[in-house]
Amino acid sequence: MKNTLKNPAVYLMFIIPTITLYGLFFLYPMFSSVFYAFTNWNGLDETRFIGLDNFTTAFGDESFRSAIFNNMYFIVFSVGLQVPIIIILALLISNVKKLKGFYKTTVFMPSILSTSVIGILWGFIYDPDIGPISAFLGFFGLDPIYWLAEPKWAMIAILLTNAWQWVGFYIVLILAAILAIPKEIDEAAEIDGANATQRAWYLTVPLIKPIISVVVMLSIAGAMRVVDIVLVMTNGGPAGSTEVMASYMVNKAIKFGDYGYGTALAIIIFAFALVFTAIYQLTFGKTERIEY
Amino acid sequence: MKRNAMVILTLILALSTLLAACGSKKNNDTSSPSASTSPSASASASAPASEPASPSKEVEPFTVSLRHIQIGEPQKFRKAILDEVVKKTEAEVPGLKFELDGVEDAVNRFTKLPAEMAAGNQPKIFDLFGGNADALKYAKAGRLLDLTPILDELQLKDKFLNVFGQFTLDGKIYGLPIGGNMEGVFYNTEIFQQNGLNPPTTWDDLIKAADTLKGKGITPFAQASQAGWVPNMLVDTLLGRHVAAGFPNGLTDGTLKWNSPEIVAAYTLYQDFVKKGYFTKGELGKTYDDMLNEFGAGKAAMMFDGSWRSSAFKADGVAKAINGKVAFIALPAIPNAAGEQTSINANYGNGYGFSSDLNENELAAVKAFIKNLYNDEMQLRGLTEDGVLPSMKLSDEAMGKVTDPLVKQVLDTMKAAGSSFVHFDSVVQKAVNAETENQLQKLIANKATPQEVGDAIQKVQDTENAKK
Repeated sequence: MKNTLKNPAVYLMFIIPTITLYGLFFLYPMFSSVFYAFTNWNGLDETRFIGLDNFTTAFGDESFRSAIFNNMYFIVFSVGLQVPIIIILALLISNVKKLKGFYKTTVFMPSILSTSVIGILWGFIYDPDIGPISAFLGFFGLDPIYWLAEPKWAMIAILLTNAWQWVGFYIVLILAAILAIPKEIDEAAEIDGANATQRAWYLTVPLIKPIISVVVMLSIAGAMRVVDIVLVMTNGGPAGSTEVMASYMVNKAIKFGDYGYGTALAIIIFAFALVFTAIYQLTFGKTERIEY
Repeated sequence: MKRNAMVILTLILALSTLLAACGSKKNNDTSSPSASTSPSASASASAPASEPASPSKEVEPFTVSLRHIQIGEPQKFRKAILDEVVKKTEAEVPGLKFELDGVEDAVNRFTKLPAEMAAGNQPKIFDLFGGNADALKYAKAGRLLDLTPILDELQLKDKFLNVFGQFTLDGKIYGLPIGGNMEGVFYNTEIFQQNGLNPPTTWDDLIKAADTLKGKGITPFAQASQAGWVPNMLVDTLLGRHVAAGFPNGLTDGTLKWNSPEIVAAYTLYQDFVKKGYFTKGELGKTYDDMLNEFGAGKAAMMFDGSWRSSAFKADGVAKAINGKVAFIALPAIPNAAGEQTSINANYGNGYGFSSDLNENELAAVKAFIKNLYNDEMQLRGLTEDGVLPSMKLSDEAMGKVTDPLVKQVLDTMKAAGSSFVHFDSVVQKAVNAETENQLQKLIANKATPQEVGDAIQKVQDTENAKK
């Protein structure tokens, strides 16, 4: 056994298959897609090197620019609105005495459903003719809202659905962090006369800051690559109002066999996600390790 | 020593697993070109592939992939015809088994088939659209089987109508249209009668009907614009009626511009309809099926759609609720429009194409499939059961068998037309067609003016035209 581990061939035997597979299915496609981003490759005609044309086309296209803004909406909505709601709900659930397991399971449920199911489910909820929201509005004599058919509502409808799907997942993450805080700290503050709000704001929230930072980062990364919910619910419509970068890539490039352009878009999305998460990590995301 | 042997053995095992995973799909058809079996079962295991096989009556089974778009309830009549052809062909060709793969029309046309064509692993037989963006593009890349010799061999060429325009490249035929269609107005005769309206055969009557129905809370036109191709049907006919000459071929050779006054006038008319509320409310969120449901439920009085929809209104169709209450006409003449006002949109754009990558067995299967699908009987069945206009010449006697009044109306409307034009989506490049859908949705959402729509599409058209 001793000699076996001294034999370099043994180590090679273990790593070569994995390295080969990694190279074949990860490194090679990745680097070849960088190459194809600078070509007009469509799989049928002769592939030509066209320099930065794909990138200038993308940024020159008004639809793509509006898709970038829609991704920004996703970030603002998920970080600015979703995260505070997640924290508040997690604090509330951590303080209930009865049925804590029930609440945890209930909020977590949507995140295990497939996005297609959620898209169809909410498509029904938003339906102007038979959906419950219209019925509710009708009860007060209000006209139905064409959630997914009107540009001004469609984006909000998708943001709400997306939030419904993911809020529970993040709540469970934060809840785990809250429950890991030793009880003594909280009790000490209570004895010192701090009320529940003060304890939550001055004690619990600072102590779970590292996990909040992770949740914010996951939200940013998730908002950058969001696509499935858009494709299922509106396919980027109406009139491009819910188009995000990834759905633009699917609808404009991949669907029409313009694979060179498609890979260029994929690289742009990757670059955006990288820059945003890096900026966050280097600024607000910096957290110190907390020792109890 | 023993240890070294162990190491080597494990390495060999690991490498062979890797190599096996990298094996090509060709493994499956090594034996098929000759369709032979080895003399005996015991010999077959060791016989090298190159060894000439002795003739035998036993046949090696083989499969042929067949991609169709006949899925869902509205397509059931066409699927029944296909199933019968498949069954018949399997019985005729020994060893043949078709692998049917049903994919939704738009997914197949715009996503799946293009990707397969790019990778070169297209099915052997597949649903194919004609024109620059589909059949001709694939033919140029050498992916499609040249059908000219097969048509000669089966003596079929003269039996077809003049329908190969969108499938012909350099004099060779690369696809067989299964049938034809025209796009026009379906209207609910009961709603028209109940409201004391004249059939919408003139523009004045059509507008009067739309205004009256709108006032009574009935949607004048069922419309569904979540997918841009659906409203583009009406736009196409409006364009054909507004442009004096060169539609749609002039768009790709640069003699006709999307931002010309005639085309902008057509888009203005469409926007006018939107503004007056002639279409379904919230149309941008509705799917093509929603449109049929709305019309079929009697909630809308008219619907601009392809003649293929006529089968939905049969006694056992999906919209059977209004069976016998539907009539079909061409869009009435538009006053002050520059084009030929009796012209209609008519297409022979959809049919089957075949992979150029076929072995002998598969070729035999393809020939039998063509023989069984493209004949008088199946063409007549397509017409009577499914309302699809024949792409082959049918005798007067056969045509006399058409009893469905709606199909008869379609045939009469086509006969009465002064001229016809194909849909622009079979002529312009894919990117241009995509832009027309995008811009039309913006027009509907009131986010663009007709002139802006024309300018934006022309910009893409110029870029695409310059690529040649």
